[in-house]
Parts: sequence; C-alpha cells; structure tokens
Amino acid sequence: MSGRLRTRVDKASGDRIAYSEGAIRNNSAIIEYCRTSMAALSGATSGILGLTSLHGFIFFLLAGFVLWLLLLIKAGSQWQQFFVSRKNLLTSGLTSGLFTYVLFWTFLYGMVHVY
Amino acid sequence: MIGLKFEEVRDELRKWREDNSRQSEEVVDRWTYCLQHNKNKLGDERWMVEEQVFVAALDCNRMDIADQCLHSLAKKFPNSLRVAKLKGMRLEALEKFDDALQIYERIVREDETNSTARKRRIAVLRGQRRYVDAIKELNEYLQLFMSDWEAWQELLDLYLKEGDYAKAAFCMEELLMSNPHNAIYYTRYAEVKYTQGGLENMEIAKTYFGQAVKLNPKNIRALFGLQLSCEQIASSPKTTVQKKKEAIRVAEYASQLIKQRYAALSSPASTHGDQNLVESLSALTVGGEKTSRP
Amino acid sequence: MSEPELLLDSDIRLWVFFPIGLVTFFVGIVRHYLSVLISSQKKVDLTQLQDSQVLLRSRMLRENGKYLPKQSFYARRDFFNNEETGYLTTTKRPAAPQAMTDPTVMAEMLKGNVTNVLPMIAIGGWINWTFSGFVTTKVPFPLTLRFKPMLQRGIELYTLDASWVSSASWYFLNVFGLRSIYTLVLGENNAADQAKMMEEQMSMGAAGMPPDPKGAFKAEWEALEIAQHQWALQTTDADLLRRAETLIAASHE
Repeated sequence: MSGRLRTRVDKASGDRIAYSEGAIRNNSAIIEYCRTSMAALSGATSGILGLTSLHGFIFFLLAGFVLWLLLLIKAGSQWQQFFVSRKNLLTSGLTSGLFTYVLFWTFLYGMVHVY
Repeated sequence: MIGLKFEEVRDELRKWREDNSRQSEEVVDRWTYCLQHNKNKLGDERWMVEEQVFVAALDCNRMDIADQCLHSLAKKFPNSLRVAKLKGMRLEALEKFDDALQIYERIVREDETNSTARKRRIAVLRGQRRYVDAIKELNEYLQLFMSDWEAWQELLDLYLKEGDYAKAAFCMEELLMSNPHNAIYYTRYAEVKYTQGGLENMEIAKTYFGQAVKLNPKNIRALFGLQLSCEQIASSPKTTVQKKKEAIRVAEYASQLIKQRYAALSSPASTHGDQNLVESLSALTVGGEKTSRP
Repeated sequence: MSEPELLLDSDIRLWVFFPIGLVTFFVGIVRHYLSVLISSQKKVDLTQLQDSQVLLRSRMLRENGKYLPKQSFYARRDFFNNEETGYLTTTKRPAAPQAMTDPTVMAEMLKGNVTNVLPMIAIGGWINWTFSGFVTTKVPFPLTLRFKPMLQRGIELYTLDASWVSSASWYFLNVFGLRSIYTLVLGENNAADQAKMMEEQMSMGAAGMPPDPKGAFKAEWEALEIAQHQWALQTTDADLLRRAETLIAASHE
C-alpha cells in the first residue's frame, strides 16, 4: 500500500515535516551529479585559464557558490519541498568536489601551461 | 492503443515494476499491443518484463499469454528458483494447490532463505480459505523474518477476517512502527481499537483518529471515526464531566469538518471537487475491513 | 609563476602524462565490469538473516516506539529484554566467527582482493616500472616541503620545488580524483571506486548482517534497556481540542 514511503522528521519550524527518504536520496544523487560535473568543468576552465594558487581556489569556491545559486533558482521559492536544509546544499559537496577539481585543474594546467 | 510508442510503454512498465503496482489489465494490454512484437528490443530487461507480464496475465486469467512468457523464461533460465516460483504461481492460478505447494517446498528446501516461496505457501492456504492454518504458518514465518512489514499487514488482514481484534491491533502497531507518518495506518489502528471497544480502547482510538486527521485533514474515514469515538466516550457513564465536555467539542469539530468536506465536494462548479472525491474515496477503501461505518 | 623554471619535453606530455590518466580511467571502468562479472550472490545463512531482522525490528522499536501506546511499547520491550524469556537475553549465538576459518569468507575476500588490490598494485607497479623518474607536471599551487615525498615519489632531487609532480604520484592523484567521475560515468554504487570499497570492507555489516551477532545482541539489549517511552501523541488530544474550540468560536460569531 504505502510501505515504501520512508519519512523523516524535521523539527526546525516546530511542526513535523515528513520527507520521503527515497525522494531525498534521489535529489541528493542528482545534486551530486551536478556537483561533479561542475567541479570537472570549473577545474578544466581554471586550468586552461592558467589560474595559480589562491586564484584557483577562489575560483573553485565561486563555482560552488554559483552552482548553489543556480540550484536555488531551479528549486524556486519552494525549496523546502525538495531539500531539508539550504546551507547543507552549499557546504556538503565542497570537499568531495575538491579532489575532482584539483585533478582537472592540474591536468589542464599541465597540458597547456607547463610544457 | 496502436499509437503507443515502444519507449513509452517500456518506461511505463518499468515504473510499475519499481512501484510494485500491479495494474494487471494495463500490463497485459501493453504486452499484446506493443511489446509482444518488440521483445528483442528490450534487451536484458526482456526477462523482467516477461515475469511482470506473466503475473499480470495470471491476474487476468489469460493463460495463453502466461504460458508463452513462462515458456520463454524457463528456456532461458532452466534452473532458476525464481522461475520455479512462477511455475508454482501458474499451478495456483489453475487451482492445483497441492502441486504448487510441492514446488514451493522444493524451493525452500534448496534455499531456505527464500522468503517469497514461503510467502507463496501462505498465499496458497489463503487461497484455499484455510485462514487458521494461514495464520499459523504466517506466525512461523514472522518468527524468522520479523521485519517483513508486508507479512505483518497480511497477518493483520487474516486476524480481522477471524475477528481477533487484540492480535490485529498488535500487527497494526508493528506497521505503525515501520512508518509512523502514514495517516492510513493511524486510521486503521484506531479502527481496530474502536472495534475492540471499552473506554480505554476508545480513548486510544480517539487519539489515533485525531493524529490521522492532523496528518491528513482530508481523510473522511478518520473524521467519521473521530466523531464516533468521541460520541462513544461522551456517552460512557464512566467518563468525567470535564472529559465529556471535551469529547463533545471534538465530535462537533469533526462533524463540522465532514460537512465542510462534503460541501466542497458537492459544489458542481469545480472539477477539482471530483479529484477530492476520488481522494477521499480512496481513503475510504484502503481501510479494507469496515469497522467504523457511520 | 606563469613561466615555469623547468622546461619539460613535450613528448613527456604525449607519452607519459596523458597515458597515465587514460590508463587509470580505463582500468577503473574495466574493474567495474570485471567485478560485476565475477561477484557472486552472497549466500546468506538463515540464522544470520533472522538475526538481522530481529535487530532491525528492535531498532525500529527504539526509534518509533514513541508512536505506540505505552502498554504496547513496554510489551514489546519485554519481549526482547525480559530476563528469563526475552529474545535478546535468551538467544545464544556463538561469538564472532573467525574469518580465516570460514572458507566462503576466504573465497569472497580473495575475490575482493583480485578486483581491488591486485590491479592497484599491478598498475602502480607497471607505471613505476615504465614511467619511472619522469617529472610529469606541476600543480598550480605552491606546496610546502612536507609534500615532497608524497608528490615526488621516485625522484630524489632536493632542490626541486615541491609543486612538481612525479609520474607515480600523478597516478595516485588520478586514482583519487577520478572517484567521483566514475559515479558520473557508471552510475551510483559502482565497484570502480576502490577507496570506498575498502571503507566498506572495514565497516562491513552496517547494512547487511552483523558479523558478530552476540555483540550486536548485547548492544541492542543495552540500548533497549535504557529506552523510555515518550508518547509522541501526548499532545494530540489537547491540540485537537484547541482546534475544535477555535473553529467553533469562529462559527458562532
């Protein structure tokens, strides 16, 4: 009947809001997909541009922030329906994306600027 | 039906498979009009589709289609236990229950962790209307697979059929724990408690009906239940004056909400109303056993 | 910094730098399909299955028991924890089985090693052997000297800046950086992600069956023993009454 519906309670607003866990997992998988793509793309961009040291990392943070904004625009005013927390959306993917970013950055920087 | 695109049909069936919804007639339709001719295009998915169509065909008593699917599955996976289970289901559909039982017992012997075969065995008993035996078997099954919520639900059904409400309530509690945000579970639990009777149970029924209303204010069944249980509490001689007053208030509240719902439904201007009617009707039918009819 | 102080032959780029990335990537893909191919359905023991179901149910009781009436909650807790008849107290399970004595566990581990560790060693060794001693690239950010042994494996030049990367280290950089790319290409839960696989091996059984039923039962017993019933529906009645009064007050005006 409805045994599939898994839920979770968010007590921030005082009221009980139940999220469907399957949907939340699906959402975060999609977000993860976006993040990896974004990290790879921004890494490639900064590598080609030849950004070094601090500039590169600032670019990474900037890209993460832009992605966050884009996601919020996409979710519209009803972001609460899709995500439990807005802040988490910004911070959770940064560390996992960093490795990918550094790899692509180094790779294209090496290809274009070192040799 | 002819205009159906292959990809659309495939995705539709996939969705039904994932959602565990049977939609048997539709599945058989899609198969005869579209997929039957595109079997090879399905790739590896073909076998899952054929399994799905097989079960659907059994539901619709289309033995020709079922046999056709089973034949191709058996050819592809000659030693599979999953296909053996399907063979058992075919025998069940033909009402050859003893042969089916033999197949299931063989599966369980070969793989004692196979829960579906065990469950089919219980289904056979249910099909033969041997409810007491089914309850016994199901209890043994639940000793092994304690967190199989579907099995708890089945046991609940069986206990309700037998009129054993205290045990039914126990099963319902188990379901409630599995998903405490499902308004329908609350309604059903309250209904069972209501049917059990007695002031204490009535209090519990009232609270759980109330919780169901809180979770889903459109749930007509819960609203009726709330009203009835409150009236019962109010009319009981053991209730204190204060409680009686409160119960009458809440009963009035529930009846007002019901009136509002019906007023909203009967306004002819909105097609929206139809949607609501369908929703509340489905809320009514999901409960299964009618325990609290107004 | 844009003008590197070291000039590398562009053939290194074509024949060392680029191939290493490519090889790492494709080895990951091949490993994914290989592990799909040779992984066998795990045979589950009936008692193990039963144990995991019991543990799941008692965890549910702890988490969601607050939605039940008080009596029902304590009846269930008693079923698990009663000193004489409780399920968790009376069921005797042997202590954790020794992994090495169980041949099926051995075979499974061997299979895991074949797909995980072996390619890692083989490819790492092969790269070390074929491309040893190349300075392949430079990371575009400055690093302290501490990173030298990590990034310049195979090159013992003391005067070289720490941000230059040797071939062996470039390989390892690839292994870690490509992790999330695999999820992109192969979908979730792929086997190419070896670092994650190793983590899973460490904490194995969190999702599946407990490797040590005796310990798990004891822990569950303890957790259940201190679980108190805090009825979640406590406020429902009062809440309804409040709603009723506001609605009735509104309708009387």
